[in-house]
Amino acid sequence: MSPIDHQQRASFDALVRPHLDRLYRLSFRLAGNKPEAEDLFQDVLTKIYPRLNDLVDIEEPGSWLCRIMYNHFIDNRRRYARQRLVVISEQGLPGQNIEAIAGNLDPVVDSERLDNIMRLDAALSALSEEHRLVVLLHDSEGYKLNEIQEVTGVPVGTLKSRLHRARARLREILSADGTESAD
Amino acid sequence: MTCTLIAPQIDDFLDGELAVAERSSLEAHVATCATCRSIVDAEQRLRDGLREYGEATVPAPDVLFYDRALARAARDGARRQRNRWVMTGFGGAVAAAMALWIVGGVFFSAPDVLEPGIPSVTMSLEKPQTFNLVFASARALDNATMTVFLPEGVEVAGFAGQREITWMTSLDEGRNILPLTLIATSPVGGELLATLRHEDDDKTFRLQVQII
Repeated sequence: MSPIDHQQRASFDALVRPHLDRLYRLSFRLAGNKPEAEDLFQDVLTKIYPRLNDLVDIEEPGSWLCRIMYNHFIDNRRRYARQRLVVISEQGLPGQNIEAIAGNLDPVVDSERLDNIMRLDAALSALSEEHRLVVLLHDSEGYKLNEIQEVTGVPVGTLKSRLHRARARLREILSADGTESAD
Repeated sequence: MTCTLIAPQIDDFLDGELAVAERSSLEAHVATCATCRSIVDAEQRLRDGLREYGEATVPAPDVLFYDRALARAARDGARRQRNRWVMTGFGGAVAAAMALWIVGGVFFSAPDVLEPGIPSVTMSLEKPQTFNLVFASARALDNATMTVFLPEGVEVAGFAGQREITWMTSLDEGRNILPLTLIATSPVGGELLATLRHEDDDKTFRLQVQII
């Protein structure tokens, strides 16, 4: 690599690296499993590398990167969906890809936490894709509604409605399996 | 405040989006209404569960995954950039502002026309030869990017093994000369591309390189 190439690479690293964790988590939420998340993550980084000059001028590169990832996923969802079907068939039951949680309580409590997470995983898998995404981004990843709007282009009002219905559906599913009271 | 009025506000309440007055009113009601309190508690448990789910279900990438991904993005992204530039062709202000001549420096041979309109030069194996890329620019340009894509078997002196070299440059108004010393390492040859990019405009110049 020449000094010039090295400089371009270094500039790209410096601009993008602070946002990699957020970008990686978004790729996982979109793709739904690690292998496809890594492919999506890689595809997006490769796509934006030639746009270094654009990236330099972006005020909020984190949001810009997430928007590019979301749009890339939507544009190529058939390809990623095809890949995901294979993986799901290999995975079997929802929750099977959850191997462990960070245990800092006693074993009984940790075991209950893991059970709850697996039930939630199964409940989430029963939601529509758009409902699952909004509830994961908002309630699991901590995005604000206006941030989700920036990434997806869906108006806040629509997102709010989807979020409300997604939570209601989750409560309904969890009530049915006895995890949550119906109220 | 009544239970009927509370229900639609619970989401905003738990998401921290209620105005202070409404929040106080809702809290006062929940403190005295067991039914609404149980609903709020259940909603809060769901949110806590989803937050915990978020923390537990994204597997950490492998230790060197980010480094590998960035390296691959640089490699493949640069190749994609090259393809995009070539496909874009000549256009915009840069094309209007510039012209290029490729002139033999140390060694010069009259161009052989391999493809109509594309100049060509002939090189000898393992013999460094300097060519001057001459740019005429109608105005000064800062922060332009120059990328040279070399055909197989041709290297830039000092950059052994590299088929693509990019650097930042500035052009003065009028003539700008870039000496480029090339070495032919195998008798393959092909097309050398020199792409000049400034802001959103780019211009690609082509040169056929024959090796004897």
